[in-house]
Amino acid sequence: MFFSSLQKELRKTMAFAYKNIIMTRRNFFTVFETLFWPLISLFSVGLMGTYLEIGENKLAFIMIGAISLSVIQLAQLDVTYVLLFDVWSKSLKYTFASPSSFINMLMGSWVVGIIRGFVAFLILSAFSIYVFNLNMLSIPAGALALFLIGLFVTALLIGMSACILMLIFGRRAEIAAWTLTAIIMLVCGIYYPVSVLPFEFRLVALAIPVTHFLEYFRAFYGFSPTTSQPLAAGFALSLMYLAIFLILSEWSLKRARKNGMIIKLSE
Amino acid sequence: MKAVECKNLWMSYKTLFGRRKVALRDVSLEIEEGEIFGILGPNAAGKTTLISILSTLLIPDSGSVSIFGMDAFKETKKIRERINMSSGLNLPWSLSVYECLKFFGMAYGVKDNRIEELIESFELSEFRDVEFEELSTGNKQKLSLAKAFVNDPELVFLDEPTTGLDPDVARKVRKKILKIHEEEGITIVLTTHYMAEAELLCDRITFLNHGRIIAEGTQDDLKKIIGAKDRVIVELSYIDTISFDKLPPEGIYSVEFRDEKLIFFVDSGEKRIKEIVKLIEPYWNNVKGITVEEANLEDVFLELAKRA
Repeated sequence: MFFSSLQKELRKTMAFAYKNIIMTRRNFFTVFETLFWPLISLFSVGLMGTYLEIGENKLAFIMIGAISLSVIQLAQLDVTYVLLFDVWSKSLKYTFASPSSFINMLMGSWVVGIIRGFVAFLILSAFSIYVFNLNMLSIPAGALALFLIGLFVTALLIGMSACILMLIFGRRAEIAAWTLTAIIMLVCGIYYPVSVLPFEFRLVALAIPVTHFLEYFRAFYGFSPTTSQPLAAGFALSLMYLAIFLILSEWSLKRARKNGMIIKLSE
Repeated sequence: MKAVECKNLWMSYKTLFGRRKVALRDVSLEIEEGEIFGILGPNAAGKTTLISILSTLLIPDSGSVSIFGMDAFKETKKIRERINMSSGLNLPWSLSVYECLKFFGMAYGVKDNRIEELIESFELSEFRDVEFEELSTGNKQKLSLAKAFVNDPELVFLDEPTTGLDPDVARKVRKKILKIHEEEGITIVLTTHYMAEAELLCDRITFLNHGRIIAEGTQDDLKKIIGAKDRVIVELSYIDTISFDKLPPEGIYSVEFRDEKLIFFVDSGEKRIKEIVKLIEPYWNNVKGITVEEANLEDVFLELAKRA
């Protein structure tokens, strides 16, 4: 009984992975999202760092930021696409009329985000190592894996918040899918340490999990983190936000069923 | 057990200027298992809102809905496993016919062995690998219907299943709905603008107008409610003064003279035609033709819309 209901839940979750994979494969702009813009961004940052002669470690600092931004943005977009593809196709009501839960939808699309984000990470890392001699191979595999998990969890949280905003504010909130990551990365120190931020922004940065994941990874390049346990801080914050967003997603879905937002987004 | 039971549903939407527009007013209805139940009404009557509430997509302002005895607002997931819907021609645009059915099959947690069967049964084999946005309107509708049966549901909501289809495809779709209903005995709730469709498919009908149920019952019940009468129409070749020697016999309620036609309103066209022929015998040279029109749902619809 338990096994068959688990299988059923898995099938429901994988339905959304299946849909995202096909929609991604059929849309040309997703190739740009995966390769073109991340590579352009990384190349520009790398060249700028080389020109400014900032040194090997500082170059690593900003390149890790550029890679992280691309990986998070890609994985987050996939999570958001679970709603966006349906909104664009005006088929959202069919998805919400099925017995799949919001969690099935988010998890299924997150799986695709992780795959796409991981592929981008491999390509961008290889590019950085080959073109800019970024020293990544000496980082322990476990640390790298934990850092990546941190990035993907961050992507899930940002994707969830974009979906929640869409269920609350409708099509007006679509823009959140492309802007939320940039705003968050601005505060969490993508190209600079958070210590350079004004005090109030530094407090905000410390409340964002990815700040700690970046600090954890950059510690391998000689940059000291703000907290003694950045990884623990990052995951603790992530868990807290995950719990909050799960409650918020249920609330926003119920609200969308009450005020007709699901129907409006299907018209 | 009732397939659907809803009581005192009120639903309103917030408009652009912050006012609330009432879409449903105190709607209560019961639908038996195995029935084909029609929801008819003019545009903006509240049909789609009602079907959206029954299919668990909307939560009303007040009232209760029970599907197969389960509370629609508390046991949503269990209900959704047993129902399905087709509403409009929008499905994920980049998915082919097969992929679309596979996706929804997975989303309903069912194995994909039913997909090929549905593709064949809805005559979509030729378009198996064609993406949704490239399908014709008729095939999009067929796919939308096939999707509605992907989880082998016990209750299906069909929102205007033949709107926009050419008569031939519409006829095939109606036939298909009837066939599935006959073979699988599932409960079907449908909305439609086409009275002929409702006459052909529905066991019982409810009329909605301005969000309120104004009549409900079988087709005969509804005709009785409005006192719908059959018509015997006598077409004349030229306008003449017509007077009858004797009063029309019982069963002929009234006579109207309109556009060179004499229209007799009768209890039964078939029964009264002989008497009417006798009545117009003196004017036989002036008669071009006689037709009998049965009272139909269109009469009911027009009368109820007028009364509301």
